[in-house]
Amino acid sequence: MEMIATLRADAAKLLSEGRAKLVIGYQARGMHRAPLFVSDPAKVDRLVYDEACKQNLAVYLRKPEVRVKGPAAIVAPPAVMRSLMVLASETQLAEATVLAVDTNAYHGVLDLAGVAALLKEKYADLAPPKELFDELAKLNAMSPEERARFWTGQFAKCTRCYACRAACPGCYCLRCIVEKNVPQWVSTAAAQHGNYEWHVIRAFHQAGRCTLCGACEAACPQGIPLMLLNLTISEEIAKRFGEKAGYDPAAKPVVGSWKPGDDEEFIR
Amino acid sequence: MAHTEPQTAQAAAGYQPRIVAFVCNWCTYAGADLAGTSRMLYPPNVRIVKLPCTGRIDPLFILKAFEGGADAVLVSGCHPGDCHYTSGNYHARRRWAIFRRLLDLTGIDERRLFFSWVSAAEGAKFADLIRSVTAKVAAIGSFEPANPARRRPWK
Amino acid sequence: MKTLDANKLSDLAAALAAAGYRVVAPLKDGAEVRMKEWAPGAAIDIGPVPVNSIKEFLFPRTEVVAKFSLEGNDFKPEPFETPAPKTAILAVRPCDASAMAALDKVFNWEYKDDPWNARRAATTLVSLVCTAADEDCFCTSVGGAPDATAGADAILRPADGGKKLILESLGAKGEALVAAAGAVVAEGRAKADSPAQVPVRFDAKAVAEWCAGNFESPLWREVSLGCLGCGACAYCCPTCHCFDIQDEATRTESVRLRNWDTCGLGLFTLHASGHNPRPDQASRWRQRVMHKFSYFVEKFGILACTGCGRCGRICPGGMAIAQVCKEIDEARKAVAK
Repeated sequence: MEMIATLRADAAKLLSEGRAKLVIGYQARGMHRAPLFVSDPAKVDRLVYDEACKQNLAVYLRKPEVRVKGPAAIVAPPAVMRSLMVLASETQLAEATVLAVDTNAYHGVLDLAGVAALLKEKYADLAPPKELFDELAKLNAMSPEERARFWTGQFAKCTRCYACRAACPGCYCLRCIVEKNVPQWVSTAAAQHGNYEWHVIRAFHQAGRCTLCGACEAACPQGIPLMLLNLTISEEIAKRFGEKAGYDPAAKPVVGSWKPGDDEEFIR
Repeated sequence: MAHTEPQTAQAAAGYQPRIVAFVCNWCTYAGADLAGTSRMLYPPNVRIVKLPCTGRIDPLFILKAFEGGADAVLVSGCHPGDCHYTSGNYHARRRWAIFRRLLDLTGIDERRLFFSWVSAAEGAKFADLIRSVTAKVAAIGSFEPANPARRRPWK
Repeated sequence: MKTLDANKLSDLAAALAAAGYRVVAPLKDGAEVRMKEWAPGAAIDIGPVPVNSIKEFLFPRTEVVAKFSLEGNDFKPEPFETPAPKTAILAVRPCDASAMAALDKVFNWEYKDDPWNARRAATTLVSLVCTAADEDCFCTSVGGAPDATAGADAILRPADGGKKLILESLGAKGEALVAAAGAVVAEGRAKADSPAQVPVRFDAKAVAEWCAGNFESPLWREVSLGCLGCGACAYCCPTCHCFDIQDEATRTESVRLRNWDTCGLGLFTLHASGHNPRPDQASRWRQRVMHKFSYFVEKFGILACTGCGRCGRICPGGMAIAQVCKEIDEARKAVAK
């Protein structure tokens, strides 16, 4: 309870001192957690943080209606902090005022450099829960045909609502590949091959940039296990190139760069 | 781990693998040309799509080939160090390594996806490559109509 | 009265399937419940409100509306009929059943929509009275009720403390379904449980009136800050009905598809010229609220929102339409003071 009181006090101070015109955080609405946009220092007591807060608030730093309000401070658990690093490395974010928090501690107000240092010091070993690795292992132990059947069932649930895309801070294209219609590359019908292509392409477009925050899977109204796709790519990248997204604000994009010694054992 | 048994009934019924090859203009396409002008025989099952460079190959191209029912996809370009645009093939190499794993996870496995470096001088290598890929794909049978990547008839 | 044990819904589903119905019911799906096509062995769960509405069984996410064959330069329409199998949807929440009125109006407005009407005619809806509501439910704020019968052909009333269900027919389709149920339902006596208490959360009429006079209000931007412009709310909504027509062709055939679409997407109103009359999420949210609470009432005399609460349950941005209406109602009251 005390740490949230300190967070709220810092948020109020940022607003009253004019260092931020808006604080982006989480609020509780009954059982739900929703984003909160606070510009009045008197209203910071609505800010909360607990493990039920699954949204990645970094998405809001790119929303025009939020940006127009002026410099924003953002309540950031480790997953959000890592997204800020990725956005900074992609020149989408020049600076940030971050209220760094996790379920056990509040680390105060930091800038991007401070966030990078904190991540390196305290959160270098962040990983998704063991259950996810177990699920992936089960999937990898199946035959290719069994895997095809598994994903057929999962992608059949997809309604192409694009909540996964909307919830992801890494998805910020003004016009997404599925919205390209000259030609229409990906079928927009919520059915087999279109759904397959959408999910494979979206996962691939996050390769080397996904911080495994889980916001996509949490946002999916149909319960599709998107993290299995993301973890597969993330593990392959860690194995082949030794890279882990979301720690270095000056990192080069993994899929956008190369080394002469990159493995090509699979190439004839 | 069970793989599909060779579909000998299919082979007997005249199944001909349909293979789409995305190749770069400066190396592999020229190599294929050389195989042709040298009158090297190789199976006619490959359909070649020419691009300026393997760096231009968007993973979506591979997906569209499978969508349309290709039994296999081959992607081929200049050897590292020989790229006409200096580093296009280096970018492609990283992309393929990751994409290959993603496709394998989602049901398009490595038996249907091939990558190679074929230079403009390697007409023989190209012919040999096509022979070998075609034989492998003939052995594993056609791309399952039920695969989630495939376009299905609309009902 | 006709009754059955509450844990015998699978038997009812089986009897209906044997009588030729495609059966849809709320099925356990991991930790959640979804309306899905029932098959023997599937576990029916009438506890939680299902994550999805029944819309997709009458108005599918994607459907063929026309087929063409291409031969050389010839382009020939192929005969095509919407598949509309005889269907029974069990344990439909009253908020989903009452949505039928709105969709019937839109799909029979100036043009009779054959695919909708075909499926509607072939479907029997069996409602379930809600004896529990959650914080997102708000049927009573939009003229509904947890025991409303609008849109239903038959209704299941939990009884005897949830141990039994009373099956009551509400018309011809309902009679046919009860007859098909056969011995699964028996004559008996049971005391219907009380429907859920659903407090009124906002004044829908006042919200509509405020909308009419505040088209340019800056409040629209404030209430929509959390919205990230996906289609999760529109697609789980029992009344949302916007669609996109797409032609997909190979070299020999072409299909015309009708796919769900959503006004929440940035490109929904993008013109070929590049102009977008709803260029920001604020104007798109204004559209969402006014369509359901204002324009639909003007055109058809009824609201296009039934208070199911799904948007509130699934939106990652906290954009429950009830919450937005509450904020409008509060702002309106603050100004009125």
